[in-house]
Amino acid sequence: MAKQLLKLNFEFKAEQPMPIKESLHYGVVGSGDMEVIIEKKDLAGKAKFQVVTPVVGYDQVWEKVLGRFIDESNLGNISVEINDNNATPEVVSIRLRQALAELAAMKA
Amino acid sequence: MNGKKWDTRRTDYLERINAAKPLVKTGKEVAASDVVKLLETVIRPGEKVNLEGNNQKQADFLAECLSKVNKEKVYDLHMVQSALALPVFLEVFEKGIAKKLDFAYSGPMGGKIAEFIDQGKVQLGAIHTYLELFARYFTDLTPKVCMVCAYEGDRFGNLYTGFNTEDTPIQIEATKFSNGIVIAQVNKLYDGVDNKIKRVDIPGDWVDFVIESPKPFYLEPLFTRDPALITDAQILMAMIALKGIYAKYNVQRLNHGIGFYTAAIELLLPTYGKELGLKGKICKHFVLNPHPTLIPAIEDGWVESIHSFGGELGMQKYCQARPDIFFIGPDGTMRSNRAYCQTAGHYAIDMFIGGTLQIDRYGNSTTATATRVAGFGGAPNMGCDSKGRRHITEAWMRCGDEFTAQKSFLGNQRRGKRLVVQMAETFLEKMAPAFVDELDAEKLAKKANLELPPIMVYADDITHIITEEGIASMHMCESLKEREDAIRGVAGYTKIGLEADPKVTGQLRKKGVIQTPEDLGIDRAKANRSLLAAKNVKDLVEISGGLYDPPGKFHNW
Amino acid sequence: MKTWVDLQTDSFLDANARQRAIGLVDEGSFTELAGPMDRLQSPHLPLLGEAVEFDDGIVTGVGLIAKRAVFIASQEGRFIGGAVGEVHGAKMVATLKLALDSYEKMKKDNPSLPDNRGPVAVISFETGGVRLHESNAGLLAHAEVVDQIQKCRGKVPVIAVIGSKVGCFGGMGFVAAQTDVSIMSPFGRLGLTGPEVIEQEMGKDEFDSSDRSLVYRTTGGKHKYILGDANYLVEDSIGSFRQKLSEVLSLSQDEINAHRRIGSLRLVENQLNKVRLSITLKPKDSKDVWKYAGNDNPESLVDLSTSDFLSVARRLKFMAANEEV
Repeated sequence: MAKQLLKLNFEFKAEQPMPIKESLHYGVVGSGDMEVIIEKKDLAGKAKFQVVTPVVGYDQVWEKVLGRFIDESNLGNISVEINDNNATPEVVSIRLRQALAELAAMKA
Repeated sequence: MNGKKWDTRRTDYLERINAAKPLVKTGKEVAASDVVKLLETVIRPGEKVNLEGNNQKQADFLAECLSKVNKEKVYDLHMVQSALALPVFLEVFEKGIAKKLDFAYSGPMGGKIAEFIDQGKVQLGAIHTYLELFARYFTDLTPKVCMVCAYEGDRFGNLYTGFNTEDTPIQIEATKFSNGIVIAQVNKLYDGVDNKIKRVDIPGDWVDFVIESPKPFYLEPLFTRDPALITDAQILMAMIALKGIYAKYNVQRLNHGIGFYTAAIELLLPTYGKELGLKGKICKHFVLNPHPTLIPAIEDGWVESIHSFGGELGMQKYCQARPDIFFIGPDGTMRSNRAYCQTAGHYAIDMFIGGTLQIDRYGNSTTATATRVAGFGGAPNMGCDSKGRRHITEAWMRCGDEFTAQKSFLGNQRRGKRLVVQMAETFLEKMAPAFVDELDAEKLAKKANLELPPIMVYADDITHIITEEGIASMHMCESLKEREDAIRGVAGYTKIGLEADPKVTGQLRKKGVIQTPEDLGIDRAKANRSLLAAKNVKDLVEISGGLYDPPGKFHNW
Repeated sequence: MKTWVDLQTDSFLDANARQRAIGLVDEGSFTELAGPMDRLQSPHLPLLGEAVEFDDGIVTGVGLIAKRAVFIASQEGRFIGGAVGEVHGAKMVATLKLALDSYEKMKKDNPSLPDNRGPVAVISFETGGVRLHESNAGLLAHAEVVDQIQKCRGKVPVIAVIGSKVGCFGGMGFVAAQTDVSIMSPFGRLGLTGPEVIEQEMGKDEFDSSDRSLVYRTTGGKHKYILGDANYLVEDSIGSFRQKLSEVLSLSQDEINAHRRIGSLRLVENQLNKVRLSITLKPKDSKDVWKYAGNDNPESLVDLSTSDFLSVARRLKFMAANEEV
């Protein structure tokens, strides 16, 4: 049986969830990199993530990295989809932060 | 005195030289086609033989000849050499011509050496640092025969080693002054009368045989990093280093390791460094190979002097055109010298900074992997506190005053300390964690039967660890436990990082032992490639005014 | 966030597929079609455990240059080397088809449509050819693209722009050859078999792929310009490519046709003469060809800036079938 792409799902809720105004796509799935789609969705304040990745065994790390992103950004009512190709946690953090900066620029 | 002979080595030397006479043409010249015979004539089984393999230049022709000698006549040699960078250096072990090995660096051949040790083809003496191996040339590892390479030579034996002088003088000095035999391959041989070499770097009296090599010696462009490959994460870490360490200690005399982290720092000097107001305050004196990525900072007027271990392919013309910065001979060309430069690197710099691959929970760090016996070259001599140092600089004193554990030895006596900074992203390629419970070096030690695992920088020498999470100032910690906590605090999402107690990390941040980019006032969003003073090799060529001539493999146009 | 104005001075080489697509047309005019939000991903890669991308490595859409519709397909080299899979290929085919359909519609609505007012198609190549994971579908896609290019002939000018990291190799090298006009930067590379594959098959003595200088001399923009495989050579900025595109767009259909490298008996004969030249000249290096083309000091061309190069470089003359070589 050939290996399959992994789908991981996570959910977080910020204390005071901040909504976003626009949806956004950011990034390129290069080797060691990832892309993300962040969409506005009515999720009772929650932030839902789906990560698609070929790398097995890092569920806990994803949970921490994404949890910290929500802690720092306070985003809520968002659906986030990530296509990953071996991005390190550091690259994931950088890309999410850059995506957030793009969102801010779109609002401005 | 009862007839004891005190000059047997000299007699032996003269016998060998006489035996080789028929092979000599004019003066000291031997034809390339006669070199195998020459080696069979002057080398005896089991002898210590030094073959010039350096970081950069390689006596590849002589190595090839040595691999072709009749192994009935020449066998079981004990090779003492700096670097084994080419497959041909290992052929002599494959064929049984050599058996024992003492060296300092093997780079790409590290995997093969581990295999050979495993198969019993190599008996490993020790892996040294360069200075350490050079020191042993003058004690218990003095070569009987030494084979070197040079750009130019003449029939009197004079050599021009120029830009890539590297190890040649010290190898020859140890051999020649113990009645050993010195053989040199040169790219170009002159008669020395009507046509002379550019400059005498090695006097002819110290050389016995000179051969014009069929092709120029191989040079490895080891220190060239393509700016196009520098990542945003490396740029962030370079910003952390500049603001958190260079600026804090006013580091003026230093060495940069090989790698993309320090390349990023070099390329940030004219941009981010300038923005921080650091020009004229840091990075004035380097002991460093001529890194192409330093060109923008040199052109921007940051650097006052650079002394080099070796040359770097493509940088000849640039160095020659900047004689105020580099060490240039009366003929106008640069001269490197590894022994002197390493000495400077050990005693006269305030900081060593470079990348590493693995750090254990105590802070011991190494670039060794489980399957390669690669050695560290000169890094450990720079990546340590030089205990013989007595002169004072601001950076050295400040680091010493912060060194908490020093008080438990010296009481209230003050002493400085070298800044030793290791940089590592918490995860390297393919999600390999930089922070590990057991270093791969331990596995290697077991596999290759080494008594000690190869550690590049020990935890008691390291002062700072930089990751994308921030800086851990190891020397400011009170105890082993606190050092472990500091490491956890910057180890991100690695297993060791996940063990961090947020409360403890918070306390260490308050004490200044851990500093995050935010603590340092660094805007992570600014960490991107637009900060690089040169974005690719072509930019470097342009900034150098066309003086930098990159080797083919970096010539992307 | 990069603005359109930033993109104009940005390096084309470093730009990603989307930045190229946005920057190649007039400010604010690009509309992405079948973009990442539509999630047209490869159905094959997940089965092999390989990472997927929402746009399958190609950005498609339409924009304007001086009010003229420009349909763009822009390949992303960072995603599996820009390799052409089923969805990726289908998006490229559909882009060309859309351009042709819109031409037919405009022509129908306005039979006197001047031939330099209709839509054009631009392919920004960055690819090594077929995606091996889905090779049959990828190969078919190549055939369909070629088919579309033939259908576009004389109606919708198809323009190749090549100046990205991966270059344009494999089957897409054939495709690029069949476009009407080809624009490259010195950093662009065009060929069939990639350098690494040549070395692997023929050995390091035949072609040392680690010698980047050799690789660029053999496949790079300057060489292709001298040979005539590239009609134009431009600086490495998105703005330079856009400027050249807008110049080409002002040409009549006849003038566009005159840019073709193949596509008529006469042009094929010219190509065959180049093959004959390679037999008689036996070049050891591209520089031998440059010299033959009239560049007395070919070595000096290697490091020249684009503008200096353009002012001095002599190109291989068009060779008629009966011309002695």
